[in-house]
Amino acid sequence: MYTTNHKDVGLLYFFTSCYFGIVGAVLALLMRVQLSVPNNNFLNAFYYNQAVTMHGLIMIFWFLSPIAIGLANYFVPLQIGAKDLAFPRLNALSYWLYLAGGVLAVSSFFVPGGSASAGWTTYQPLAVLTAGSGPTLTYLGLVLLAVSITLGSVNFLTTIIWLRGPGVTLSKVPMFTWFFLFTIIAMLYAFPTIIAAFVLASTDRILGTVFFTTQAIQPSILWDNLFWFFGHPEVYIVLLPAFGIIANVIPQFTGRPLAARNAILVATALVVIPLSFGVWMHHMFLTGIPVALQGAFSIATIAISIPFDVITLAFVESLIRGRVKFATPMLFSLGGVVLFIIGGITGVFLSSPVLDRVFRGSYFVVSHFHYVMVGAAIFGIIAGIYYWLPRMTGHMYNEKLGQLHFVISFIGFNILYFPMNLLYDMPRRIFTYQNVGNWAMLNGIASIGAFIFAGAQILLAWNVLHTWFRGPQAPPNPWGSPDLEWTSHAEGMSPAANTSSPAPAGGWIGQLSSAPAAAAASAEATPYAAGEHAHLSSRPLQLSVGIMLFLAGAATWPGITALGLLVVGGLVVIYAFWEWAKDDMHGRFTMPDEAEGERWPFGGVPKLKLGMWVFLSSEVVLFGSFLGALIFIRAASPNWPPAGSIHDIPLGTVNTLVLVTSGLTMFLAIQAIRQGDQRRLLGWLGTTFALGSVFMGIKVSEWITLGTNHFVLTNPTYSLAASAYYIIVGLHGAHVTAGLIFMIYLMKKTSSGFYTKENHEAIENFGLYWAFVDIVWCFVFPLFYLL
Amino acid sequence: MYSGLLAAPPTVATYSYLLDWYLFFGVGAAVVVISMLAVFMIRYRDRGERTPMPKHKTEGWKIVLITVLISVTILSAAEYQTFAAFGNIEIPSSALCLQQTGSPCVQVCVQAFQWGWNYTYPVNGMTCAESYNHGLYSGAPGNLTVPAGRDIVLNLTSTDVFHSMGITMLDEKEDAIPGRVNQMWFEVPSVQVTASPDVLKVVCNPGLTACTYVDAIRCFELCGVGHATMLANLTVVTQASWNAWTGGQSA
Repeated sequence: MYTTNHKDVGLLYFFTSCYFGIVGAVLALLMRVQLSVPNNNFLNAFYYNQAVTMHGLIMIFWFLSPIAIGLANYFVPLQIGAKDLAFPRLNALSYWLYLAGGVLAVSSFFVPGGSASAGWTTYQPLAVLTAGSGPTLTYLGLVLLAVSITLGSVNFLTTIIWLRGPGVTLSKVPMFTWFFLFTIIAMLYAFPTIIAAFVLASTDRILGTVFFTTQAIQPSILWDNLFWFFGHPEVYIVLLPAFGIIANVIPQFTGRPLAARNAILVATALVVIPLSFGVWMHHMFLTGIPVALQGAFSIATIAISIPFDVITLAFVESLIRGRVKFATPMLFSLGGVVLFIIGGITGVFLSSPVLDRVFRGSYFVVSHFHYVMVGAAIFGIIAGIYYWLPRMTGHMYNEKLGQLHFVISFIGFNILYFPMNLLYDMPRRIFTYQNVGNWAMLNGIASIGAFIFAGAQILLAWNVLHTWFRGPQAPPNPWGSPDLEWTSHAEGMSPAANTSSPAPAGGWIGQLSSAPAAAAASAEATPYAAGEHAHLSSRPLQLSVGIMLFLAGAATWPGITALGLLVVGGLVVIYAFWEWAKDDMHGRFTMPDEAEGERWPFGGVPKLKLGMWVFLSSEVVLFGSFLGALIFIRAASPNWPPAGSIHDIPLGTVNTLVLVTSGLTMFLAIQAIRQGDQRRLLGWLGTTFALGSVFMGIKVSEWITLGTNHFVLTNPTYSLAASAYYIIVGLHGAHVTAGLIFMIYLMKKTSSGFYTKENHEAIENFGLYWAFVDIVWCFVFPLFYLL
Repeated sequence: MYSGLLAAPPTVATYSYLLDWYLFFGVGAAVVVISMLAVFMIRYRDRGERTPMPKHKTEGWKIVLITVLISVTILSAAEYQTFAAFGNIEIPSSALCLQQTGSPCVQVCVQAFQWGWNYTYPVNGMTCAESYNHGLYSGAPGNLTVPAGRDIVLNLTSTDVFHSMGITMLDEKEDAIPGRVNQMWFEVPSVQVTASPDVLKVVCNPGLTACTYVDAIRCFELCGVGHATMLANLTVVTQASWNAWTGGQSA
């Protein structure tokens, strides 16, 4: 399956996330069976803890976000009149990395010792102390997923800013695309932190670093800060696409425009997104933070509810003087709003650090976030599925069945989660309980609700599949929508060069098989426009498989199988990169040309450069998280080796100068090609490459000296300092090395005369990257060598 | 001298008073907004020809402003009640306890471990770190023992992973974190109190000088396979029994 078409990738995301959703739901039902009666022994603690952990991780990371990404893949380009995403191969890579991460996570159930079992919050030090390779597989899978999401965010952000069709000004962008834009901005800056957190946790598990096992530095607090800095924006990442769908759907079924549309956008852009990065400590009220800090974060937390009041009231107001039609998408939207109101208000209870003493770690919290993440988010997503099903399949779903699905879901949902509000004195994540108070009754009711709610989703599955294969022909614009994904369709225009007609029978499903035969068949079956076969690339799939095998090897290290996996995975990765570069050398992959459209406010910036800037801004958060962790560790560590006692300051200074000089020569290289001088470009590129190599060479010699001078992880005196040094400097070194490898590719292309005065975007973008790597070193160097 | 009102630990009443405020606002807001949704939904349902043509008034800045004002008012009122209760969750240091509360606090050192709790009762102003080396007062194993009517300060830490101690009959909770000491304080007004129904049972001695609340203490943070069974009892004794037990060594 080599497609890079946004619709195909969207459907892959959609069906894959449905699969993970089913896995997560089965885990949830297993837990509800176990908890349905007191003193049950259906699941023991060992299995229950895995179920509770993997349910959370799979639902949040491999179901909720990806299913929204799937819909966005399909509809964001259509809504803005783009032919495809800005970087189609990157999009395919995002998908395959997502799947590879998911395969790693789910495979962890089948290794000895089982899967991750420390809760989805992965609290430390429990998570790094849990034995077995299963948790490592899961955490590395999560890193892959986070990388996939970061790349996807870069892609979508560039697309929405740069690829809007003619006439699609920002004020005409539909609400779903707007809210997805907010989502990806949150993703872009939240996910790097979780990459940092899980990389540190994974190196603890694999390489024996001691970030989370050194009690003196209070590693639990370090983890809480890293995790929740990501974790709270993550709530909005899950919620906002659903809100976008609701905001898109409601006006279709009231016949009047959305009320206070601009207020909703302003509230979300200026309050929700920035503030979501400033409330994380409300997850830490009882970790012993000062009362003043508790107060400040409590105020920030209730402040973030105000824009949501505005949004909710605007949704309610949007019904006034309308003609409300109760079609299934509308029912799920309104139902989602009601459940969000309940979940939002219980959230205000939790914003009080005083009441947190009553509710912390109890089923009240479980109820709260399920009202938000299942109630509001999933109901919104389901509304979107019904709403767009006619556009995706060309067929109409069964309305009566859809309404029945809503009624049973809504009732089942409340039977499942409302009793949990009353279980505010029962701890979460306990696998069994004694018959005290009314716990038995409330848990019994919740378990019944769970099966009603889950059963209702069978109706959804049946309705979707039946519509796909047997549904009656749908009119081209069944809802009379003014949005581009429907109107262009209705007028027979093709804003995206792809399948505007219904897929041939079996075509879509056939694509889901990864067998090469099916892939070939689907390439045939998908009615690409002429010349679109160049739009296929196998490299994203190969690269993802390679990385997956490599990480599986790392997680199960040591052992002969692990070694084999590492070697094979590494070779596949090298092969995929090599071939990818060759594809580019020979121009084998062509993207459709984009018509000049609306690009405000970044019209002056070329597409790739915009993508690079966006990517680097995300990298800033990545390094910021690592350096933040370093500063936390330094501040908390009682015996950090003094400056100059470990690292050779003069040598480090020389090396810093070498790297800074290479930044200068890179600049000269860019100047050269701006004047069209290919020879000088090659010369300066070569100089930059040489200086970068010298930098890495000195680095390696330093590491050898340090290693022989007992600055190693296993030396208790230095274990923490060594952990921080090797991982963070190593990460920077990896960036430099990646730059060096890319420079070889650039030099090869230069010597074949590819770059000209007019066409040297790649050189400029690489210059940005190289400058970034230099700047990061300017922070890393003093933190390790001088302070 | 410490002037003004004396500090006091939060009680069940502190929490239920605060919770009532939040319930009043929360349930009120939910009922109002959901009713509005329901009323508009029915009032403006599609009735074919008889429905008036929708009016296209999009920008409801006035409504937005009103929403913000009402939200800010309600949320500030709720937050004010929370801040008012901050006086109760701020714990005086052991040196200032007498000054600030009118009587010295009873300090207890609690070490959480996988899966249980260790209690040490320091004597003569010792710190917890010093006390761990001097096992004191052999109480019933596994029972946290405290005198009634006194301000109790628990100094919580953990020897291994993240735990969280919850005494739900008192509505009290605090995290027990390795490498760190967190404090929780409370008062049990009398030996025999009405315990919340999630205490498995209450066992009192014949003279009612001591009552044990079985499973009153639970762990509220996932800490491994023993998490669900990391339960403990709370024993409340009279001041006289406490003095006899500690031999007058405790403050």
